[in-house]
Amino acid sequence: MNINKSNPLLLHPLNKWMKKKKWSWFPHQIETFQHVRTGSDVVVFAPTGAGKTLTGFINPIDDLIKLKKFKGLHTLYISPLKSLANDIVRNLEKPIKELDLNISFQVRTGDTTPYKKQKQKQKPPNIIITTPESLALLNSYENAKEFFHNLKYIIIDEIHTFLDNKRADLLSLNIERLQTFSPKLQRIGLSATLKNKQDAKKWLCRKKPKIIYYENSVLPKIKILESKERIPWSGHMATYSINEIYKEIMKSKLTIIFVNTRAQAEYMFKNLWLINKKKLKIAVHHGSLEKNLRLKVENNLSKGLVDCVVATSSLELGLDYGDVEKIIQVGAPKGINRLLQRVGRSNHNLNIPSKAILVPTNRFEFIEAKAAIEEIKKNNLDQIDLKEGSFDVVAQHIFATACAGQFDINDLYKEIIKAYPYKKLKLNDFKQLINLIQDGGYVLKNYDQFKRIFQLRENKNIYKLVNRRETRKYRMNAGTIIENPMLKIKLGTKTLGNIEEVFIQNLSQGDSFIFAGQVLEFQSMKNNLVQVKRSKSLISKIPSYSGGRMPLSTNLANSVRALLAKSNMRDLYPDQITEWLKRQKNISKIPKKDEYLVEQFPRKKNFYTVIYTFAGWHANQTLGFLLLRGFKEFNYKPLGFVANDYAIVLWTLKEVKEIKKILNIGLLDKHLDNYLEETSIVKRLFRDNAIISCLIERRLPGMEKTGKQVLFSSDLIYTVLKKNEPDHILLKSSYEDAKKNMIDYDRLREILKKIDKKIILKKLTSISPLAVPIILEINRENLSKKETDEYILEDLENEILKEANVLSIN
Amino acid sequence: MYYQLINFGDEEFYAYPNKSLYWKRLNTLIVSDLHIGKSISYAKNKQFLPPYDTKEILNELFVSLDEIKPSNLIIVGDLLHDIFSTLSLTDQDLKNISQYMENTDFIWIKGNHDKNIQIEGFKIFTNYEIDKFLFTHIPIETPLFQICGHYHPKVKIVHRGKTIFKTCFVHNEKIFILPSFGILTGGLDVHSKQISDVLNKNNLSIYPVGQDKVYKL
Repeated sequence: MNINKSNPLLLHPLNKWMKKKKWSWFPHQIETFQHVRTGSDVVVFAPTGAGKTLTGFINPIDDLIKLKKFKGLHTLYISPLKSLANDIVRNLEKPIKELDLNISFQVRTGDTTPYKKQKQKQKPPNIIITTPESLALLNSYENAKEFFHNLKYIIIDEIHTFLDNKRADLLSLNIERLQTFSPKLQRIGLSATLKNKQDAKKWLCRKKPKIIYYENSVLPKIKILESKERIPWSGHMATYSINEIYKEIMKSKLTIIFVNTRAQAEYMFKNLWLINKKKLKIAVHHGSLEKNLRLKVENNLSKGLVDCVVATSSLELGLDYGDVEKIIQVGAPKGINRLLQRVGRSNHNLNIPSKAILVPTNRFEFIEAKAAIEEIKKNNLDQIDLKEGSFDVVAQHIFATACAGQFDINDLYKEIIKAYPYKKLKLNDFKQLINLIQDGGYVLKNYDQFKRIFQLRENKNIYKLVNRRETRKYRMNAGTIIENPMLKIKLGTKTLGNIEEVFIQNLSQGDSFIFAGQVLEFQSMKNNLVQVKRSKSLISKIPSYSGGRMPLSTNLANSVRALLAKSNMRDLYPDQITEWLKRQKNISKIPKKDEYLVEQFPRKKNFYTVIYTFAGWHANQTLGFLLLRGFKEFNYKPLGFVANDYAIVLWTLKEVKEIKKILNIGLLDKHLDNYLEETSIVKRLFRDNAIISCLIERRLPGMEKTGKQVLFSSDLIYTVLKKNEPDHILLKSSYEDAKKNMIDYDRLREILKKIDKKIILKKLTSISPLAVPIILEINRENLSKKETDEYILEDLENEILKEANVLSIN
Repeated sequence: MYYQLINFGDEEFYAYPNKSLYWKRLNTLIVSDLHIGKSISYAKNKQFLPPYDTKEILNELFVSLDEIKPSNLIIVGDLLHDIFSTLSLTDQDLKNISQYMENTDFIWIKGNHDKNIQIEGFKIFTNYEIDKFLFTHIPIETPLFQICGHYHPKVKIVHRGKTIFKTCFVHNEKIFILPSFGILTGGLDVHSKQISDVLNKNNLSIYPVGQDKVYKL
């Protein structure tokens, strides 16, 4: 038997090292090696622990050794996170150092010093490990072509995180640029398991596309916390189960508790410390904490110096923490992929199942948790929908291209439409984006004398940057991640982290809140610094960071519906849940998988309509606003609504008699534009679009409040533009973003298209058991949904007038 | 147009939601900080704001002039954003202005932005006195009541857990500050150091400007 023929990797330079470690090659590694060697672009799907990083480097290392003393850049490795990039370097270092291979490699991210970056440009290593943003910047340098002209491989790590967002758009454009620089370039994608593998292949691969995958046969062991306590109707803080969670932490060597929002993380952390009789080492980790604090927690975690870390998605991707024994997910999983990713953080050994416990914080979440477990057993993952490329990212790319040197717009257009997200980009839109970079792209008037890029007189297709100084402006705005304005929190001289400006604005001096696991008292705000001191108070506002809401995936929503429709409740749920659902069945109905239950009942002096859509919060929120308008039109005198992931409740002064006439696809066509107009959603997204497309400059820390009143805001630009040039490409772009991200347009459209035939209407005499959770949420939200500026002003004035009357009577 | 009545220096003024102030007794309209041509001025630094500000500001001003037909229009500074801004005034714009000048005196108090610029037909002053009132861009030491601009005042309102910022008229016993009549102009918090230094914090009367109404806090 010719063993070399069956496994060509036995001749690979790394084989010696593998042997020394007593490791053997995985089948997907052999397959990758063979396909890439014969010229394929590949996407490799493999679970954590299956040597994914190494898989990407098999071909580059083999090539580099065979080429002997190859000079210059050979392979580019793209990682979604800076921290992950550093980790990759450490992993690559081991075999290369131990085998003393003559291969150079370096990391390049926003954290790399200018000196190192400069040296790298002069003398590039064979392998650079970087992020999409740093790649975009590299491509904007004048010598980019020279720098990349010998590039052989680009490896995209965690490619599943790059499919449905603007970073993906940016990355796709820059990969095509590299392909232009170096036509021999081959692409290798690495991904966690994904449902729609074909989509990932379409997105990345061009040459002899090939999917390679390795499925883990060992399923994770996931169960729901068996609580003796009463599971609450609503709420998200899991206070009821805190003692039981504590017991679970005690049972394991090292536990990560995942929660869904930063506020939940702070709350959970605080509650655990209140009952921490055994003095367990418990830490908290989320994206707003100061980098050093986060690094410290990560370090302690990898060294096993803590017993438990409470974390948000900040710990989802990233380093391998080998010693984590157990994952506790508090709150609804929201999606199968997310849950699997989190569960996979424990036990990075392929043959041992990961262990996880789910803690639902309310009754609907219990059903959701149960459904998620069922789906994982069936290996039914969520689909990640590819998105169509955003305009603003193209604009930024055009600017970057101009920074690298003069360019032909036809060549650029041809290159851009090779990128999968931009396959359908129209030439006309592209030209508008060229104009946008040139002078703002205003049709009715333009700034002829002040252009940023200009056409050469001798060839109108060639554009050139007016002035090299403009490159600085591009570099300031480069990238697609726009954060909300944040303020630094200082305790004495120590920085604890960042908090949203909006949250601080609502605080008065002396108010207390929890941050970084401490109760803090707000003292003052100066130049973007929030000064706080430790508070003795136990009453605190919790930071309500805006980035907290995760949408319920369509896939999981469907399985929640399917589960709910099952009749063998006793086998599925604990008694308290079974009782709740049984009563629902008797009083009203439990909807079948494809039915939409609508309940109507009087309560106090109003009439309530509850619609169970299971459409996720975004879609439900939008539907709520649309229904308010629909109800108004029919003169039902609506007073307000509240939405969650599962349902919407509206309350009206008059009885809603003809719900079917309103709740249908017509609702969307009739009221959506008005809705977008009135809320600030598009306005908010316009800001991001204006920054990404480099129309306005990104506010960097320290520049924000210079005390000058001449600072203009994107809101003002939006208002002027909308009035004078409603067809401007950036308005179009913001509108598309709103449809995609904020209002879940497609999902809502799908539901409304078929809903009128599937409504099950139940007229009840009082509230149903299923409706209790959402009715309870009403009190937590603000009383009125009419939260426009005008309303606040009017209300405040009325209050003051009332006060004045009382005073005059006295 | 709805207006908010404001008493200042024993005189009655009407504050309009378009950010102009009307002194009825003397049939005088007052505006401030129009910053005409701000967009052009930014464009020269390759910041491409929508170039419609000049048109919109002038339209708004002309609407007011048509409706009120004042004998005087007083601009308390920063009519123009800078010397480049004149580029954004078309021949037609200038013609329209001169037509309004037939019935209205255009009094242009110079601000820090438009010091060395001239436009035909405007009566130009560094400050301007009527009775016990002094019109000036930035307040000065004087026993007179002052009506001025410069600061683009905004007020932060926290109510029922919501925070909003609104452009506003603001005054104390002696000094009245107009909001900016411009449309691409930002603002400064009335409680910021710069405004506090001028007005000191107490006894402020603040009038936030809403969509169709000027409110009183």
